[in-house]
Amino acid sequence: MARSAGGIEVEGTVTECLRNATFRVELENGHKVLAHISGKIRKNYIKILPFDRVLVELSPYDLNRGRILYRYRN
Amino acid sequence: MESAHLTARTDGQAVTIERVADGSWHAVEDDQVVGRGDLSGRPDGRMFVSVDAWHCAVFDRLAGAMLAELPRPLHTLVGEDDLDLISHWERAGFTARRREWECLVPTDPALTGLGPALPPPGVTIGPAEEDPLRVLDRVIRDEVEAAVGWREMPAEVLPRPAAPDLSRYTVAAEAGEYVGYVRLAAVTRQPRIGLVAVRSGHRRRGIGRALLARVLDDLHRRGIEAASAEVNESNTAAMALFEAIGARRTGSNLELVLEGSEHHG
Repeated sequence: MARSAGGIEVEGTVTECLRNATFRVELENGHKVLAHISGKIRKNYIKILPFDRVLVELSPYDLNRGRILYRYRN
Repeated sequence: MESAHLTARTDGQAVTIERVADGSWHAVEDDQVVGRGDLSGRPDGRMFVSVDAWHCAVFDRLAGAMLAELPRPLHTLVGEDDLDLISHWERAGFTARRREWECLVPTDPALTGLGPALPPPGVTIGPAEEDPLRVLDRVIRDEVEAAVGWREMPAEVLPRPAAPDLSRYTVAAEAGEYVGYVRLAAVTRQPRIGLVAVRSGHRRRGIGRALLARVLDDLHRRGIEAASAEVNESNTAAMALFEAIGARRTGSNLELVLEGSEHHG
């Protein structure tokens, strides 16, 4: 059986690079979340920088946390 | 799709691990994906896994399900400052195999000191043409494999494309043949130096430095202030080259490996 989606996915902009591979991301609705990078991004050496547009999956347990799934080309 | 390999409980809810595609696993709780596992191979044969989960228990279950099905060795890449993730993988039996430095390389000639870095006499630096680039690429790959091996290189080994993107390469030529190149990964706001390589018989003549001078100067003229690069910890020559042009270490990655026989737990 195929599952169409995981958690809520929203676009946002990276505003700050923090320690422990964590970033502060401002979502399109103005909400700010703490987001880790996904394993695929790490494996592919994709660098996340402030002002990058990213796709974030929000945690179903804590909407203040997320995971960066994709970095858009600016 | 395989399903229901095992279940775990987080916050009182049952979690089911499902293999949803070749190289892709989901952890599902209440019909919601709460974790993902991924397997991808590199052209040098290494298999890399990753797990993204919101809870330690889900991570452990996902990793356990994946490792039960996959052959060894398995590799993964983690940021050295991501202590939680490292501990997750260590619990799964992974150990550190090597470290690679993340570097930020300035492009401004005033900072790199590369302004007058001319190639040695008889060597020219310029854009690449496809046929001689393919010849050089094959030679470089063979030389690396015969020396340290691609497994000691930080970046992924690119598969040979049907038509290489020539715009990403800058080459050094001497006596009608290519003797070295720099390959840039996709040029974004902060491009990444994917590979700097000079043929073994042409090293220690300043060709690598001249190649970097050209590439970095081009980026600087396009308004890009810095490029990133990864250098294996044991590659002291490469690290010395980058540090000599003003590169600074911004972090480090660990490649973790799980050796041994397959686990069926």
